[in-house]
Amino acid sequence: MKSTTKSPTLAAIGLAAAAALALAACASGSSGSSGSTGGTGATGSTLTIADVAPFSGPDAALGPTYLASCYGATTAINNAGGVLGHKLTCKSVDTRGDPADAVPAVNQMFATTSSLALVIGCTSDEAASVVPIINGHKMAMFCMTGQSEFDHVHFPYFYRLVPPDLEESYAMVAIAQELHYSRIALAFGNDIGSQTFIQPAIAALKKAGIALTTNQTLDLSATTFRTEAEAIIQSHPDAIMTEALGSADPTLFAEIKQLNGGKMIPIIGTSAAISPPFFKASAAAVGASTFATDFRADNLVTETGGPAYQAFSKALLAEQGKVPGATGNFTTYLSAPGGVHLYDGINLAALAMIMSKSTSPGAYGPDIIKIGDGVPGATVVYSFAQGAAALKAGKAIRYEGPGGPTSFDGFHDSTGIFQVDTYSSSGTVNVVGNLTAAQLRALSG
Amino acid sequence: MALFLASVGFGLVTASVLAIAAVGFTLQFGVTDVLNLAYGAIMIAGAFVAYLVNQAGASVWVGLAAAVAVCSAGSVLVNSGVYAPFQRRGTSPITMVIVSLGMTLIIEFGVAAIAGGTSVSYRMSQGRTFHAGGLILTTVQLVVIAISLVVMAGVHALLRYTRLGKAMRATAANKTLARNCGIRTGRVITVTWALTGALCGLAGVVFAIDSGSFNATSTDIFLVLILAAVFLGGPGQAYGAMLGAAVIGMATEVSAAFIPADYKYVVAFVALLVMLGVRPTGLLGARA
Repeated sequence: MKSTTKSPTLAAIGLAAAAALALAACASGSSGSSGSTGGTGATGSTLTIADVAPFSGPDAALGPTYLASCYGATTAINNAGGVLGHKLTCKSVDTRGDPADAVPAVNQMFATTSSLALVIGCTSDEAASVVPIINGHKMAMFCMTGQSEFDHVHFPYFYRLVPPDLEESYAMVAIAQELHYSRIALAFGNDIGSQTFIQPAIAALKKAGIALTTNQTLDLSATTFRTEAEAIIQSHPDAIMTEALGSADPTLFAEIKQLNGGKMIPIIGTSAAISPPFFKASAAAVGASTFATDFRADNLVTETGGPAYQAFSKALLAEQGKVPGATGNFTTYLSAPGGVHLYDGINLAALAMIMSKSTSPGAYGPDIIKIGDGVPGATVVYSFAQGAAALKAGKAIRYEGPGGPTSFDGFHDSTGIFQVDTYSSSGTVNVVGNLTAAQLRALSG
Repeated sequence: MALFLASVGFGLVTASVLAIAAVGFTLQFGVTDVLNLAYGAIMIAGAFVAYLVNQAGASVWVGLAAAVAVCSAGSVLVNSGVYAPFQRRGTSPITMVIVSLGMTLIIEFGVAAIAGGTSVSYRMSQGRTFHAGGLILTTVQLVVIAISLVVMAGVHALLRYTRLGKAMRATAANKTLARNCGIRTGRVITVTWALTGALCGLAGVVFAIDSGSFNATSTDIFLVLILAAVFLGGPGQAYGAMLGAAVIGMATEVSAAFIPADYKYVVAFVALLVMLGVRPTGLLGARA
């Protein structure tokens, strides 16, 4: 169109700038609101619980899920009188799902939050980079990471109510076994949190005698996965095991359905897929009934009835419409692992503060273990209000929340067992089976 | 072999989407002298305009028309409100790149603030799937290819046969000389922003249709592909952008059939680097 060419220097700068923007976006997407506060904190002496998690980028659904549990737990705690005269409030800290972005976000959190009492979140996306920092600040944290390094490295202020990712890989393979699938394709995102599933899954598939047809790594920043979808279809799997959050999995599902003559291949997802945004995006991509029919996910066993569940569901559902970033069917949060286990984590920490008569993590941390594991003769309590009343009456307590009983090991890990979840076409989560510890053991090592 | 042939078909679709975006981008850059990195953000804003229309019950094709209109007007406003004042003050091209980077973040975060951080999809059918000689394409993908061909033909006709196109070419080649020859370069530049903004909106909706699922930051990596196509063809060269889009689109999809798929963009950029090493001004750029 023109006889002279535009400046190569300008071109190079533009390309570099756009590349920098895109690289930042690859792992992070847009930056979200950092440091916004919510919850029900009263004026004056409020303690802050920080939700350190992705609120933007491919894993943006995780942050609001945890925030929902924080809002529910803190409202219930505040309604029961708070902790040692303090009200609790929640604060979101956006890590963008990127370890590099997470470090300054966490440093900023410590610099600007004088009333910080507990950290929740710290997913596999950023745990490796932020856990040492949080631990260095002697701040207690309940993390939603399954990374295996936390099975062996002791961080005194680190607590975890979810199992290592490799156990979740075994759970996915166990689902494939139960459904008598003999050929499985893998399609995992290229983020840290998803890649960690692959090797254990491959080993477990081999042990189960299930053929691995193809292993596709999905670039979460890519906009289409047609060739990957076609490669999966041509490998003729019975099902696909996947975790590629953001728009990647919904796009992959849509393209598989298109290229497979309108027929979906059954999907086995991870517990991260049990979230309203994931259902909403996937249902929009392939149709709600198709997705509901063809999707299963492992999930940690959570209670669906009883006093702990009733208290939890009442607390959480009271926050419907109030949680920034929460979209889709809010009742799905009742089954979301983060929603359940971080609610338990907050209650454990709050009760430990009362028991130790201190809001300092160094003082209340050991009591988290005591309250979670209990001592012989301890009174079992199912909510913060019950626990606080029992402690006031001078009783020893064992807290058993909607995530079930806890049993912490020397690394402060308390791992549960798994169930199999499906969605209804309206997005409600249904439990369709359970996986035994023996099933997982048979697939390990 | 079957996967290779299928990937060629997918490459055609990717190249078609990329071509619409790249031609708009390079026309904008060529005539206005602004390397507008906010192009991708305006694209996704257009995609969300169509999403709103689609959610309101209208066809996505009606949404496409709305997105074209909104992005056209939006681009003119961005230029008149942001870029033109900076240019009038003699801001250097490098600073303009930074300004456009800032606009990218403002628009993207603005879209994310309104639309949320999660992914959405249009309510639409992909139509029948056609199998021909190993190619697998849906009705909608064929429509996307057809739209791209019509746009390419339209741009060719505009530049070749219309007074406006000739004025755009003259303005791009030498603004001062064009003005001295009686061309109202200011008006040409405004019309160029409107036209390329319309192409940007079109590209955004076609991109979103093609992706199936999108969010506020979905075009971040796509912007890099647009730039790669533009600079592969020669910056400011409309036909070069078409050629560059074809090469980049095919390279990304076909390579994914043979190497780990998360490296597919690496292949495209290796091709770009090799090309720029051999011919720094791009495939159709003038020799230095």
